[in-house]
Amino acid sequence: MTVIPGDDVTRSLDNRVGAGATTERPAFAAVVVQIKQASPASQPLSHERLHQIDRVFFGPFFREKYGRGGDKALENDRIRYYGLIQPTDDGSELAGRRYVHEFDTMTGCTRGWHETVDRAGKVRQIRPERNDGIARHYQFDGNGRYRGSW
Amino acid sequence: MHIDLQTVCRVFEDVLNGSMSREQADRWAYAVVQEEETGIVTYSPHERERIWAGVMYLYGVDTMKAPGQYLHSDNDIRAAMDAKLGEVADGQAATLLLALTSGRRNAQPVS
Repeated sequence: MTVIPGDDVTRSLDNRVGAGATTERPAFAAVVVQIKQASPASQPLSHERLHQIDRVFFGPFFREKYGRGGDKALENDRIRYYGLIQPTDDGSELAGRRYVHEFDTMTGCTRGWHETVDRAGKVRQIRPERNDGIARHYQFDGNGRYRGSW
Repeated sequence: MHIDLQTVCRVFEDVLNGSMSREQADRWAYAVVQEEETGIVTYSPHERERIWAGVMYLYGVDTMKAPGQYLHSDNDIRAAMDAKLGEVADGQAATLLLALTSGRRNAQPVS
C-alpha cells in the first residue's frame, strides 16, 4: 500500500475525531456542477413519447420477428406486434389468422396469441398460447360479442 | 438448435402428406419460437428470413374455425409453403421442394 504523506488512509467517515482536531482545508476544492434535468419533474414524459422511445429501442427486435403486419402502442405501456395475415380460401367470411405478440415495456413480459380475422378486419376468434400447451379457441361475433369457447 | 430451410420444408411436407399432424407441427414451431426467444437458434446463412416465415406459418397451423374443422385447407398450406420457402435466389429450395414433392417421404418428424 502506498501511503500518501499528510493523508490518513485509514480514516473513514465512521472514525471519531478528537476534540483537538482542527479542520483542514482540502487541497482540492470540490466543484459543484448543476445537473440539468432532461425533463422537469412536474412534466413527465407523455405516453406517446414513451411509446416512441420504446418503439425505437425495442422495435427492431420485435418488429422483425413478430410485427411484419404492423404494431400498436397501448395506453398501458404495452406494444402489440401483428404478424402478417395467413389467408384461408375456405370461402367463408373469415380472411385468415395472424399471430399477435404483446410486449410490456414496464415489466419486460411478453405474451402471444393467434387471432382469426374476418374479411372486414374484425377479430372473430382468439387462441391464447398457454403454458400447458392446451389450445382453446374463444369466438366472437361480427359485433365483437363473445359467443363462447371450445 | 440449428435450423435450415430443408428442415422447415420437411415439416410442411409431412403435414401435407399426413405423416405429421398439424398439432405436432404447431408444437414444433412453438418450440422453435421459444428457443429463438432465448437466442439459441442458429440459421443457415441467407435463409433466416424464409425459415422464420415458415416457422411462423406453422405456428398456429392447427387453428380451427369450428370444433374439428381446421381453418386452413391443404391448399392453403401448400400455397404458403411455396410462397414462404420457394422463393430462393440460388434455387436451392426450389430444387428441394421439387425433390420433396416428387415422392420423397422418408422425412422423420422433427423433434
